[in-house]
Amino acid sequence: MKKEFTPRITSFLCKWCTYTGADLAGTARLQYPVSIIPIQVMCSSRVDPVFLIKAFLSGSDGVLIGGCHPGDCHYETGNYHARRRFAIVKSVFESLGLESDRLKLSWISASEGPKFARVANEYTEEIMKLGENPTRKSIFL
Amino acid sequence: MTDASLQGAVLPAAKEPGDAVLDFLRLAITKEVADAVILPMKVPSGDSYAWILMNDLSLLDDAVPIAATMAVQGAKALRSLTRRGPGNLTVIAVMRPCEIRAAIELTKLGQVHPDNLILATYDCPGAVQLQKYVDDPTGCEEHFAGMQQSGKPDDSAKPVCQICEDFSLFDSDIHFGYLGLSEKEVLVIPGSSRGSELLEKLGLTPARDLEGWEKGIDQLKADRVKARESAFEETEGQLRGFDGLLSVFANCIGCHNCQSACPICYCRLCYFDSETAEQNPDALITTASKRGGISLPEDRIMFHTGRMAHMSLSCVSCGQCSDACPVSIPVAGVFSFVADRTQRTFEYVAGRNDGDPLPLRQFRKSELPGVHELVKDADAEVPSHE
Repeated sequence: MKKEFTPRITSFLCKWCTYTGADLAGTARLQYPVSIIPIQVMCSSRVDPVFLIKAFLSGSDGVLIGGCHPGDCHYETGNYHARRRFAIVKSVFESLGLESDRLKLSWISASEGPKFARVANEYTEEIMKLGENPTRKSIFL
Repeated sequence: MTDASLQGAVLPAAKEPGDAVLDFLRLAITKEVADAVILPMKVPSGDSYAWILMNDLSLLDDAVPIAATMAVQGAKALRSLTRRGPGNLTVIAVMRPCEIRAAIELTKLGQVHPDNLILATYDCPGAVQLQKYVDDPTGCEEHFAGMQQSGKPDDSAKPVCQICEDFSLFDSDIHFGYLGLSEKEVLVIPGSSRGSELLEKLGLTPARDLEGWEKGIDQLKADRVKARESAFEETEGQLRGFDGLLSVFANCIGCHNCQSACPICYCRLCYFDSETAEQNPDALITTASKRGGISLPEDRIMFHTGRMAHMSLSCVSCGQCSDACPVSIPVAGVFSFVADRTQRTFEYVAGRNDGDPLPLRQFRKSELPGVHELVKDADAEVPSHE
């Protein structure tokens, strides 16, 4: 029997908003897929473009950055910078013809447990449609 | 480009445009308007050029202000001169437009301090590929002379020169224009108040209208814009998807020469050369067993993609990376194409205007729509915090 495809979504979640939101989703017993692999970062702006590229080339089927809503950043402007950095990687992916849909940035606050669960579910569905990351099987990196 | 009121002073060129530039610099040093100049000079073996900081008039006779090839990117020379802060003496640097543009980017990155530098550029017909020049200096000088006359880069020039739109006047202090002018003369065009002051001190009056020269430049530019479009189309075709990326960089030997030759990559320790990027054997063996195998040294694709993300916003398409590549990967073609896209995302052009802040140093509260809305309306449903 063929094993069902479970995507791996490396998720960089900001400590103050999205990670806490994920925590809330858990304590509220909301269901979200096991595909989300959370990594806590102090701020979404901590995520260097290379984090995304490394996760992608290491075979993550999706990469998610979760940060505070614009205007709500714990460090005031970190998420605005995160958005610019994310846009660069998006643009690099698009020009190289790589699947930029495998990268996602979402604003989820600490009180938005349900939103976290919904984003996790919907993003997993989208990644399921995209299928396995082609880099997973590549030996030339 | 220029505003209509801008005019240039005319200098006669004895044989080639470079002669007029040298006359100008001699005058600047004699009149003590500048303390020193930075110019390319042939290396003793005769097969390359080096940047020389000089104030000796007799040395100037051997200098070649408009050199056929670009061994070291000029911005690197300016960086080594001023990275510890501005000097007190005035230095005139005559460089290719892409070198000055890289210097402007390095200024924004805090690596060049231009306070007492006067940045001068010239109409650049293109630069001969370094390897070709080293192999056949005499032949390449002939090629370059032809390029100077026609203003069109030929096959000996770097591929990025053939698609360069910024080969003439932009944000420098002084510009030497000569392409498209029929007579043996060079226009000295002040591009900043500092440049105008300098011309005044030298007793040169900018009285010539630029119209004729500009028309010539625009014509040359139109050709290059066309070439650029088709080159980008071709690059995009080669790059389609992960397999395309792999095949373009397939023969990369991981030497990182492209990074060391790059004027923008100034970091003392690049992440990709750091210990953090090193993996322990067990991790690599695990990766290998999941995939069946893994090529070593690892992370070649990550190095190139990562570099695109790290420096493409400041990439000036000078082509030094391609010149430095020992296995002839068209690094510059790919980077130039990607840089065009990333810079477009922020409506930024690297090095064109020293007043534009680096895109990563600023943000707008509401911008980049679409970047964070991939999941159907998930974000739209939330009460707006903006």
